[in-house]
Amino acid sequence: MDYHFIGKKRPFLIIMLLALMWTSCKIEQVAPVPESNKDLTGTWKILYATRNGTNLIPLFDLSQFSITFNGSAGTYTLNNPVPFIELVNGKYSLDNPKYPFSITFTATGGQPVPTAFNYPIIDGSRQIIMTFSPGCPQNTYVFTLTRSN
Amino acid sequence: MKVRLHIKGKNLWRLCTLIVLCIVLSCCYLKIASVDQPATAVVGSNVNITVNVVNSCNSSGTAHFVFGMLTPVGWNMAQNAKITYASSKGNGNMVLIPSTVIAPNSNGVNWTTYMMNFFGLAGNLIADVQWTAYESDVPINYNNGDQITGTVNITFNNIGADGSPTLVKLAYVVANDQNGFTYDGFDNDSSPTSEYYNELITPCFQLTGGNGDLVDFCNPQLTTVNPPKSLDNDIVTLTYNNNVTPTALAGASAVYLCATATLNDGSKVTVCKPSATTMLTQTTATSGIYQLTFWPTKFFGLTSGQSIVSMTYFITDVTGTTQVGYGGGTAPFTYTFKCT
Repeated sequence: MDYHFIGKKRPFLIIMLLALMWTSCKIEQVAPVPESNKDLTGTWKILYATRNGTNLIPLFDLSQFSITFNGSAGTYTLNNPVPFIELVNGKYSLDNPKYPFSITFTATGGQPVPTAFNYPIIDGSRQIIMTFSPGCPQNTYVFTLTRSN
Repeated sequence: MKVRLHIKGKNLWRLCTLIVLCIVLSCCYLKIASVDQPATAVVGSNVNITVNVVNSCNSSGTAHFVFGMLTPVGWNMAQNAKITYASSKGNGNMVLIPSTVIAPNSNGVNWTTYMMNFFGLAGNLIADVQWTAYESDVPINYNNGDQITGTVNITFNNIGADGSPTLVKLAYVVANDQNGFTYDGFDNDSSPTSEYYNELITPCFQLTGGNGDLVDFCNPQLTTVNPPKSLDNDIVTLTYNNNVTPTALAGASAVYLCATATLNDGSKVTVCKPSATTMLTQTTATSGIYQLTFWPTKFFGLTSGQSIVSMTYFITDVTGTTQVGYGGGTAPFTYTFKCT
């Protein structure tokens, strides 16, 4: 074997080897599915309601109440108001459109009111769970809303 | 033939068992011997209460002494009370246990929740009382056979901070921070009790004076409002209990609310017409307990900017002519809308 030839070409081979090593690794491009924005658009009615843990449904008629969100305009409309985060119509926003944990209601002419917000999928459909205190701060109400058809 | 068991590492197992037993039995039995508290006091005054505690230990160890007291929420005990202890093992201060500390054997809740879950309202009829939990500022060392006696000294400043004359059963709990509310199950040994904790409920304590409405936790009331503290924008449940005392409304299938609200601008609004909106429905056919859940703002037809300060009311029959007031008499019931 011609060791002389290999010896002469050694620098070239080393450069080639380094070039191969350099180009052999490349960053893999992972394309995750983007989380969709949570769209509340539609009319929501009360499914469950509690006051300090007591079920309010058999005690107080909440069936006429509904709230309509308009996602593109960022507004909400209340129908047949009951004690709620706001009593008059206005604008709303989510703290994070993809992963919301808080919803802020701003009644027309009022101050923004942030409220704890949960948006689970139950039995295949979205629900909104909101916790708030319309009266005394120690009285906690939890309303679970579902889209009305 | 006698069979002898050969257990590998027998001595090691014995040692482990001994250590486990020592941990399990490393306890003191606590008992409240007596409580020295006045029968009455005036709203806003300072009240001194002494709780006498006896402690009997069947092993040596170290634990914080835990003390809890049940008072009306409106008294704000955590802020207004100062507590010290004096004992045959030393003196010191009782400090509030932070709500983030999980109590032992409590299923993962903090001490005040554990006390409420375990001891409840201590015979009080309105769920507007709370437990406040304290522990000794330093852990207390004890030895087998120790008979520790001590006192918990409570100075309650500005008692009745909410300004309401009150009737309430004050309750006290002692425990240690190792065992929580557990017991050993042996009642007939030398210990004063088989429990590592003890509760004592005192007779009805009366607070007089103050400018608020009387809050009676001790005696059944003809009417109760739930939540006990609420504003006109809460959803309020008014319960009328016809069984408390004989009234002119005995046997009615439904009774009605006749109420007058005093507003923030000083004006008064009266809603006193028997109708579906003023009807209290009987919970079951013959229970004698009637309920109406309403939104005061809507009930009284408030407009923007108006709010309700207080409400006086009667319970009436369907004609509106038979009226029952406070204590079954002719004076109206009163309710003040407030949060503290």
